[in-house]
Amino acid sequence: MFTLFQTPQWFAGFDLLFDTITLLIALLITAYSYKLYKLSDENKFFYFSVAFALMSVGFLFKLGTYLTIYSPASQYAAAVTIVKVTNSQGIGSIFRNLLYRAGYFVQMASMLGSWLLLFFVSQKGRDRLNKMHERSQILLSIYLITLIAVVSTFEYRIFYLTSLVLLALIVLHLYENHRLRRSQNSKKVLLAFLLLLAAQISFAFIFIVPELYIVGELLTLAGFGTIAATYIAIQQKTKQMANSEVLR
Amino acid sequence: MPAKTRRSRMELVFDILEAIQNRGGQIKPTHLMYKSNLSHKLLTNYLQELTQKEMVEVREYQQKKTVNKMVHITEKGLGFVEEYRKMREFTSAFGL
Repeated sequence: MFTLFQTPQWFAGFDLLFDTITLLIALLITAYSYKLYKLSDENKFFYFSVAFALMSVGFLFKLGTYLTIYSPASQYAAAVTIVKVTNSQGIGSIFRNLLYRAGYFVQMASMLGSWLLLFFVSQKGRDRLNKMHERSQILLSIYLITLIAVVSTFEYRIFYLTSLVLLALIVLHLYENHRLRRSQNSKKVLLAFLLLLAAQISFAFIFIVPELYIVGELLTLAGFGTIAATYIAIQQKTKQMANSEVLR
Repeated sequence: MPAKTRRSRMELVFDILEAIQNRGGQIKPTHLMYKSNLSHKLLTNYLQELTQKEMVEVREYQQKKTVNKMVHITEKGLGFVEEYRKMREFTSAFGL
């Protein structure tokens, strides 16, 4: 069995529950952003939807990989399958590690792609993403993300540090946005991404204190919970406005 | 004086429907023109489109010897206003 880092045994299963909740919230935002794209035909909503879809893929693969690690039955099934496919018990162990690495790779590449896309969306001129020079920027970004994700399966800290940098840039943009808007919802979104940023810092230092994995998971859950709360607040606020108009 | 940004098509539709909604669901075309800040020609074009999409209804009323028109917003139009407001709030919150 191959793991990136050691996590407290008693927490096994709880992280899966947290990740399932964050996955559902990410899917909710994916669907709503896509709905807005169909309504307005504006590219920014499409890219925002793709960003959260990538996040969902990341969480899905994390769930799959960790479920296999935590469940002896799943580990046995994976091992048997690999031995049958490779037709060798010896090579099977190498391929088994490769399977876990592949799971981590997809998780990390998706998450990094998501943060990067959110960063791009937050910049001006996002509607120009069809031009050649911007397409080349996207291709370069895909290459760098792939490279970082591959290396991160050997050294997980690189993934969390890269996520940290990207999230810091996103938080900076959201801070400027909140300074401009001064609304409760923009404040909540800023707080949500600050929590996600703090989660990356926690994950980066698991090698010193393994319990920081729990802190990181809780911060991630809190961050996505705040995003969900913002979504609900937006839905309810506009409904209240509509009702007050009807009563006039 | 800062230059005004051009309103998108959706923003124009929202401004028209919101103006009707703010007047209790019905408004005279002339008042609508001033409230939505559109020329007569442009407003006429948009009203035609919104009528085809069943977001508004233009009804005629007999008042003494004259025939007056009133623009009414429909349920579909109200639904659009609500969805647009949600979109605007979402955009504002996430800095899009």
